[in-house]
Amino acid sequence: MTSLALKTLIYEWRRFLPAVLAVGFACLLQLLQIAFVLGIFSSASVYITGSTAQLWIGYPGTQSVNVGRPVHEELRSRLAMDPQVQRVEPFLWLDADWRSARGGASVIVSGIDERPNGLMFAHVLPAELRAQLTVPDTVIVDRADLSKLGVNVGEWATINGERVRIIGVTQGLRALGGVNVVASLQTARHLDAGGSTSIGPTYFVAQLRGPDNAEAVARRLCCQASFGPYEVWTAKAFARRSELYWLLDTGAGAGVMFLAVIVFAAGAAISSQALMAAVGGSLREYATLNALGVGIASLRWVVLEQALWVGAAGLLGAAALGGALLLLARSQDVPVVLDIWVTLLCMGVALGVAVVSGLAAVQSLRRADPATLLR
Amino acid sequence: MTSAATPTYPLRALNVSKSFLVGRIRTQVLTDLSLDVEAGRLTLIAGPSGCGKSTLLAILSGLLRVEAGAVQALGKDLAELSRHELERFRLSHTGFIFQEFGLFPALTALEQVELPLHYLGMSRASARVRAEQSLEEVGMATRSRLRPSELSGGEKQRVAIARAIAKEPALLFADEPTSALDAANGALVIDLLHRIARSHGTTVLCVSHDPRVISHADRVFQMEDGRILESHPRPPTPILKGHTA
Ligand SMILES: Nc1ncnc2c1ncn2[C@@H]1O[C@H](COP(=O)(O)OP(=O)(O)OP(=O)(O)O)[C@@H](O)[C@H]1O
Ligand SMILES: [Mg+2]
Repeated sequence: MTSLALKTLIYEWRRFLPAVLAVGFACLLQLLQIAFVLGIFSSASVYITGSTAQLWIGYPGTQSVNVGRPVHEELRSRLAMDPQVQRVEPFLWLDADWRSARGGASVIVSGIDERPNGLMFAHVLPAELRAQLTVPDTVIVDRADLSKLGVNVGEWATINGERVRIIGVTQGLRALGGVNVVASLQTARHLDAGGSTSIGPTYFVAQLRGPDNAEAVARRLCCQASFGPYEVWTAKAFARRSELYWLLDTGAGAGVMFLAVIVFAAGAAISSQALMAAVGGSLREYATLNALGVGIASLRWVVLEQALWVGAAGLLGAAALGGALLLLARSQDVPVVLDIWVTLLCMGVALGVAVVSGLAAVQSLRRADPATLLR
Repeated sequence: MTSAATPTYPLRALNVSKSFLVGRIRTQVLTDLSLDVEAGRLTLIAGPSGCGKSTLLAILSGLLRVEAGAVQALGKDLAELSRHELERFRLSHTGFIFQEFGLFPALTALEQVELPLHYLGMSRASARVRAEQSLEEVGMATRSRLRPSELSGGEKQRVAIARAIAKEPALLFADEPTSALDAANGALVIDLLHRIARSHGTTVLCVSHDPRVISHADRVFQMEDGRILESHPRPPTPILKGHTA
């Protein structure tokens, strides 16, 4: 059967273009916003997701990786004793003050085990770069942070008054609340002016022999008072905890949710208006068909089909443009994270908006009273 | 009135009244109006603007409900049909021609005519055949692949007529079918309507104040102020080819 909906859409595409653009941009906005937000909040857990450790051991009740407090050095031997634990590494977290010839910033110094098979930042640091950290007083930063820090590779700066040299740059190290600076454990201890890490590191991280039983080991290792206060989390749980902390406890998340709702509402309003206007353009013809006995129910399907095609066309445009923009963002080191489920969710929401708008437009069919044609 | 003696009319209005409420003011449009339309004829309703012709047509065709009185179409009391049943009734039995043709810009002449046939449940192939026949009948066979934007006003109205008659309705309603057309095209359309009534036995009810239509009609009802004033039965006139006013 001749698809009235599709034929009209193709022949009068100009009339439907605003609706297609509205749905497309609504979807695109939603998608990019989520990608950027996820990107930003995932950088809160870059210490965890950028590392290969399966267990994190820190101060009890730590809500997020950035608010850790030191744990006891002796904990290390307790952890290493467990038969499932293959490797234990200390991790030092310092808030510090950066000065260079061209700028100053507040930075986060990560003191990591710089040995080749180290767990910390294993995903972010190439092996040869990591090896260079063995040189005392050297640091690595994200290449996107260089201008903020006012330095180039090879130049010197001071952290907490101590001189350090930028020995290299990497990618995927950008932080949420400051600038990440990676140093060896030894360098980090040297930079620790406050001396808060003198009792022990901020965290221990551990690698297990079998990867699947992390939760069981975490439960077994947990919380024997004789080694001072500590808690054990799996990397997954701790990363989630850190991201949720930023999302929920800092107020940033509420703002983001608010914005998402606004974007959704605005997108829905604009799409439905555009779609209703496009459908309304055929109202007289629909009324004629209804006079000829084609039921309102059948006409509804025509309108709904049109809404679906409009939605699909909009999504196609959004997908193409969105993909290009995300690639651009990646190339500019803007943190963006998007997984297939979020994308599908966004597309589903946009299609839903199109269908709901179509249903609203269907209501306008009631005005397609054929008696009004007889005037 | 004895039912055995009266001829059966395909379309009857019995003491019909209709008013519209606009704001707080109620205007009486049709007042206690009765009308019998004969089968297989071209019947015309004429009268001054605003006298209620279109309203009467809408009521007789089941597009509007009466307030008082009754409408019988093909022996059915339209008041007893639900909205859905009315749609079904219109789909099977009535055709419409409007002053504005109501054609879809995206569809070719052939597709316009096929569309209602599909909704009638006709198969693709037989809808195609029937649509081609109808277009042939209105002299549009050679232009069946053109869209409305490529057709003249008269041609568009002929496509609309083909669409209305393709499902072979018993009743055909036309509201000012010629007023958007020039003299020659208007004459062609009237001629067509007349021929449809003759050859298919279709009951054609037309509203118009076009004098050319009046001269072609088998019967003319003169209307004023929501009432039928008089009716002139006319002997069937021969079809005049190439007639112009
Ligand atoms: N839906 C409506 N609501 C309010 N008033 C209406 C409505 N439909 C018709 N009317 C009124 O009913 C009267 C008759 O209208 P109708 O359209 O039947 O006139 P007509 O005889 O067809 O006129 P014309 O020859 O100009 O088409 C007019 O005064 C009109 O204002
Ligand atoms: Mg009228």
